[in-house]
Amino acid sequence: MVRLRVWSLLLVWSLELGAWNFQTRGQTAAPPTQDPLMSLMLSQPKIDVGAPVTAIAWFDPPVVGPGQLSFYRVTFNALEESIEWNPAIAAPPGLELKAGARGQVLQPVGVTIEPRTSFNYRARPPAAGDLTVPQFSVTVSGKPIVVPAAGLRVVQGVAAPAPLQPVLEIPVPNLFVGQSAKVRVLMPSSAAGGPQVLFQVELSGDGFIVDKGAMRQSVENTVRGGSNFPTFIHETMFTPVTEGKLIAFAQGYCAVPVTPGVVVTNGRPAVPAAPAQYVLLESEPVELSVKPLPKKGELPGFTGAIGAFTVDPPKLATNLLKVGDPVKLSVAVRSATGFARLVAPPAPQVREWQVLAETAEGEPTRLLQAQGFASFEYTLIPMTEEAQSTPAIPFSCFDPARGAYVDLTIPPLPVTVRPGRAAADWQAILQESATTGEAEETLKLSGLALAPGRYAASLAPLQSQSWFPLVQLAPAAAFIGLWGWDRRRQFLEQHPDILRRRRARRALRREWRAVHRAARAGDVPRFAAAAVSALRVACAPHFPAEPRALVGGDVLQLLGSSEGTNGSAVVAVRRLFSAADAASFAVGAESPADLLVLEPELEQILQRLEERL
Amino acid sequence: MGRSLRGLFGDCHLGFFWSLDVGAWCFLRRAACVLLVVSPLLARGVGSSDAQFIAGAQAYKNDDFERSAVVFRQSAARHPASGTLQNLGLAEWQRGKIGPAILAWEQALWLDPFNQSARVNLRFARKAAQLEGPDLSWNEVVSAWLPINWWAWLAGMSLWLAVGMGTLPGVLRQPKAAWHQALAAFGVMVFLLSVPAHLGVHSRSRLGFVLDKDTPLRMTPTLEAQAITRLSAGEPVRRLRTRGNYVFVRTSRSSGWLARDQLSLICPPDGKI
Repeated sequence: MVRLRVWSLLLVWSLELGAWNFQTRGQTAAPPTQDPLMSLMLSQPKIDVGAPVTAIAWFDPPVVGPGQLSFYRVTFNALEESIEWNPAIAAPPGLELKAGARGQVLQPVGVTIEPRTSFNYRARPPAAGDLTVPQFSVTVSGKPIVVPAAGLRVVQGVAAPAPLQPVLEIPVPNLFVGQSAKVRVLMPSSAAGGPQVLFQVELSGDGFIVDKGAMRQSVENTVRGGSNFPTFIHETMFTPVTEGKLIAFAQGYCAVPVTPGVVVTNGRPAVPAAPAQYVLLESEPVELSVKPLPKKGELPGFTGAIGAFTVDPPKLATNLLKVGDPVKLSVAVRSATGFARLVAPPAPQVREWQVLAETAEGEPTRLLQAQGFASFEYTLIPMTEEAQSTPAIPFSCFDPARGAYVDLTIPPLPVTVRPGRAAADWQAILQESATTGEAEETLKLSGLALAPGRYAASLAPLQSQSWFPLVQLAPAAAFIGLWGWDRRRQFLEQHPDILRRRRARRALRREWRAVHRAARAGDVPRFAAAAVSALRVACAPHFPAEPRALVGGDVLQLLGSSEGTNGSAVVAVRRLFSAADAASFAVGAESPADLLVLEPELEQILQRLEERL
Repeated sequence: MGRSLRGLFGDCHLGFFWSLDVGAWCFLRRAACVLLVVSPLLARGVGSSDAQFIAGAQAYKNDDFERSAVVFRQSAARHPASGTLQNLGLAEWQRGKIGPAILAWEQALWLDPFNQSARVNLRFARKAAQLEGPDLSWNEVVSAWLPINWWAWLAGMSLWLAVGMGTLPGVLRQPKAAWHQALAAFGVMVFLLSVPAHLGVHSRSRLGFVLDKDTPLRMTPTLEAQAITRLSAGEPVRRLRTRGNYVFVRTSRSSGWLARDQLSLICPPDGKI
């Protein structure tokens, strides 16, 4: 047991010693390394944002002649985001302050970096006098900071040295929307002849964009007063995006020695004895006239290219193709005016080809400028062996010098296409893309309709409105009526006596009325004729016969069964027929005047005959 | 007015009027009276609507889209017309009201499927707002080929044409000719084809569109109900049933309840905009 304890202690000791040895070796073999990014960050000077915020304000230059330019500058040792700056400053009477540049820079102060935010105003005092911008308060990080008063002395007849200003050069004052132009910001040398470098150079204004990728800075000798002086030049590309009058000016920081006497500080010196300060300088504003691109004459394939472009003959990898095999088409575009905003034309949608655009849109303008051309590449896949040439790719640009669009269409190249594998999905993709292309072309909001157009009494459909089924019942009623009329007609055709009796009743009533009229008029012949006619009409359906063919005997035959041969009705009928026959056939015969007394008897006879109809 | 009209027409002794049958004459006289009374009212309504249409167009040209939308809506409420609804949609779109714009264009197509401008505007709006169109069944698609009221007249006329061609020759004692039977068969065919379209019109009238963006689709018809999802303005829904102030709808994603004022049907229940 004791032996075991001793051996176990030895074992533990040896293990610990081994581990200590390993640790020692490891420490010596791999010393700890620092993250390079962290090292870089730690090596940077500290940005001092905790210092008390102060403001300085001064006129540059402080003494000018009437009408001479002087800048009113206000600088804070604070970040721009923390300053709630009101651009409207209460200027003294007779002095107009126009807002100019504003910006922020980090200035080394000892071992730290201090933010400096500057606001510039342009002033051109019209008359001599002492002008003072009174002190005012600005909120910085939620605390009020007093901007001290600044004085400007305007002395008649004094020609003070002009304030330090860069110069903005825009070679083309009249541009089209989207037309890029190379602009230069020049910073002349100092009075001592040394170059003055601008940094954080920007173009300020509205309605344009600046391509910072095309920026180039250099120091060149320029002639001034017959002597060469080094001049700092900042070049960039300027592109207006809105039409009309544009105003732009350049701004940038320059290390300028500041005389302590001209700085008015807030309480204590804000910039203690610095040999030079970063001062925000700005150029004179430049006014540009920007015209819109003409709509008239726009050619297919215009993608916004503005300038003088030429297209080299396209190059095809091979002109012997198989259906379904891709082939590269490349074309070089050259320009004497730059490649800014040069976008390749879209791939055309044609039935025989699948065209995929592979353009170098992302290449920086500077690189394109250096190589002298931009290259458009397309992958073409023949879909059928019927294709005999590559499709023409519409392309055009706008030439501002001529003020017109220029056709740069990439011409077709002859090819020979042999049968090959024609995947069905290619056709589907092609058809879909063709359809999508058409739809995209037509998709835009229409204009106003010029007239109300097709209208309805209600948005509810007719079949849901109550009156519509009733209207549909009208034809149904008409058809039912027609059907009933037809049935009735067929019935009457099978029973013609019904019609004869109906007509006889109608005629009897007519003749009856004639009898009454004749009796009232005392016209015996007409009475007799009407009475005979009525009797004939009433008896005709029973034979059946034409009424005019009946004689008195026929009437008596119908009456005979109930009247006998000597009844009053028989006598009346005979007398009436005799009178009618006499009036019709006898010469000079006169109807007996007492014939009218038969009217009651005739009434009864006719009633009896009507009942039998 | 009745007495004066009787004076105008009732006691005249023109030979032409006497030659007419008495019943027909009475009918004509009454129709003339009705027309005389109603036509000024109709003319006043149409004239007012036209004036509103012109005022709406003028406001639109002056970029006063809010007023333009109000005036076009009044005009469409008075006389629902395809062009007016198209312009109403444009004004609403310019105001940023996607839901009412899409609804107006759908209603324009509801009245006149041949209005290509409204169709293109709808496609443009749906592409811009990333919206889907309503999912239509085949008979609803067929019903959208013609204006909604054409189907009703087409079905009615084709039915009675078929009935007439089948019965009239017999009634009129005309020998049945081949063209009679052909016309009857044609009428029957058109009627049968129009029946599915009728059903399509009926089901399409339940389509509605969400008016406001981020409209909650609720699980139950209560204000405190949990929101299943949120619908975009202009999203199509299909009304299934109504309960109180809520409508149970089905969208392409799910079903749920919407408040009545959160959607508008393509064909409102009273037929008025």
